[in-house]
Amino acid sequence: MTTETQSTEERTQKLEGLGTRRKRVEDVRFTQGKGNYIDDFKLSGMLFGAFVRSPYGHARVKSINKEGALALPGVRAVLTAEDLKPLKLHWMPTLAGDVQAVLADEKVLFQGQEVAFVVAEDRYVAADAVDLVEVEYEDLPALVDPNQSMAAAALVLRDDLQGKTSGAHGPRKHHNHIFTWEVGDAEGTARAISDAQVVATERIVYQRVHPCPLETCGCVASMDKVNGHLTVWGTFQAPHAVRTVASLISGIPEHKIRIVSPDIGGGFGNKVGVYPGYICSIVGSIVLGVPVKWVEDRMENLQATAFARDYHMSGEIAATQDGRVTALRVHVLADHGAFDACADPTKYPAGFFSICTGSYDIPVAHVTVEGVYTNKAPGGVAYRCSFRVTEASYFIERMIDVLAQAGHGPGGSTAP
Amino acid sequence: MAETHIKLTVNHRDVEILAEPRLLLIHLLREKLGITGPHIGCDTSHCGACTVDMNGKSVKSCTVFAVQASGAQITTIEGLVGADGSLHPLQEAFREHHGLQCGFCTPGMITRAYRLLQENPNPSEGEIRQGISGNLCRCTGYLTIVRAIRAAAEQLSNAREAAE
Repeated sequence: MTTETQSTEERTQKLEGLGTRRKRVEDVRFTQGKGNYIDDFKLSGMLFGAFVRSPYGHARVKSINKEGALALPGVRAVLTAEDLKPLKLHWMPTLAGDVQAVLADEKVLFQGQEVAFVVAEDRYVAADAVDLVEVEYEDLPALVDPNQSMAAAALVLRDDLQGKTSGAHGPRKHHNHIFTWEVGDAEGTARAISDAQVVATERIVYQRVHPCPLETCGCVASMDKVNGHLTVWGTFQAPHAVRTVASLISGIPEHKIRIVSPDIGGGFGNKVGVYPGYICSIVGSIVLGVPVKWVEDRMENLQATAFARDYHMSGEIAATQDGRVTALRVHVLADHGAFDACADPTKYPAGFFSICTGSYDIPVAHVTVEGVYTNKAPGGVAYRCSFRVTEASYFIERMIDVLAQAGHGPGGSTAP
Repeated sequence: MAETHIKLTVNHRDVEILAEPRLLLIHLLREKLGITGPHIGCDTSHCGACTVDMNGKSVKSCTVFAVQASGAQITTIEGLVGADGSLHPLQEAFREHHGLQCGFCTPGMITRAYRLLQENPNPSEGEIRQGISGNLCRCTGYLTIVRAIRAAAEQLSNAREAAE
């Protein structure tokens, strides 16, 4: 132990403590192009998978003819829901307690939905084969406005849920209803609003966004049939969730499944969910006995992997004449697309939206969130880990602005 | 599909290979030659993750056919590393200034910056931003990338002066 007095800089360097600039260890690899991202993986005998996707937002699948694709040299398999059905692999659980079609089962529910999975010797042949799969559709009207989802005459989107009066988050009141989540004091808030000197209202639409990491989603699945072990490398932000889903639907016990997340080219929430591509690659590897890689292209990533936001918020904020807030009420219509594949941090289906009172002193508040189905890609993920905090913050700050613009905000009137 | 015989130089190494006319340069590099530094981000020449240097120009290799690169001199991020394994000043500067997070855009970004500094050894911040406008990064917000390129430009310029 030295007794010499060191300079602050020297001590900081030595301790490598807070406030010390550190170089990241992984940057040595990344700056030389030596990262290890999913599309860099190449295993012996590896095949490449690609999807046939729906051009329609809502349609009945009348027939699928794979003959042309199978006749193309280099094509090893074409999987459809019919092939997955005997194995009960055609539907998979979502993170939000719903189920999602792995490959379209009789109906397609959004444009870009996975209809068939082609496995071929390279990605060019796979792309050719995708074009050779003939799918006959019967086009149905697409429901894209969440405000119309629960109209009495609204089309039934999810045939698989017909007659189901309750879901993972309680009772369902309409065939396109997913859940209603409620928190706060309904009566107290209603009373405070009706008694208020000032009430400002605003309808706020936080539009659907896509997290869009620079690397798209993908995986390599390798089933070792000799010892019954499955290994999947992939763009997984939540590898344990992938393992659970893979185990649930394949019947392979979790201890025989190894999920590996290598270097990931950005996630932003987009890589939390479990996608049909992962399941189809696993099935492909089980069926063919060799590793199968699937990497989506950018258009597929934007069309079919999880979106975020899509909250349609109707707010009321009550205040006294001099700008003291007395109550807040919000009703949210949450567009979850065709399958509820929302990522939630707790058992509640609207994440942390209950923080929508923000940092203001609001004596009473009431929140309802209703999730509905539309003919859009599934999702509702936590873009930049927000878990609906972004929606809630935008909501409350906008409500305070609206109140202030009406001349009643904190600090009083600021008339020009 | 009939294949064409092509010759090119990749990172100072002569390569002869058979390529389908439709094979993209990025797939030639990544799948046939195992050069996985350049990445595929968008398939549509928007993001620049696949940027390589071809005959002294930055190109997006996802929109160049391999046969178009016949006879070309190609440099990828791997080719910027010295024979002794030393990093190029740009690679050092990106590390020093935290010019990356996930690293997916980095090979394209540095390869583009390499060409930019050949064209303009002393670029202003505005010229750097203009110069890398074809390369997208989702993590950093660009501030640290610009800083890294500026630092590398200064270092290279000092090294040149010292040599003169």
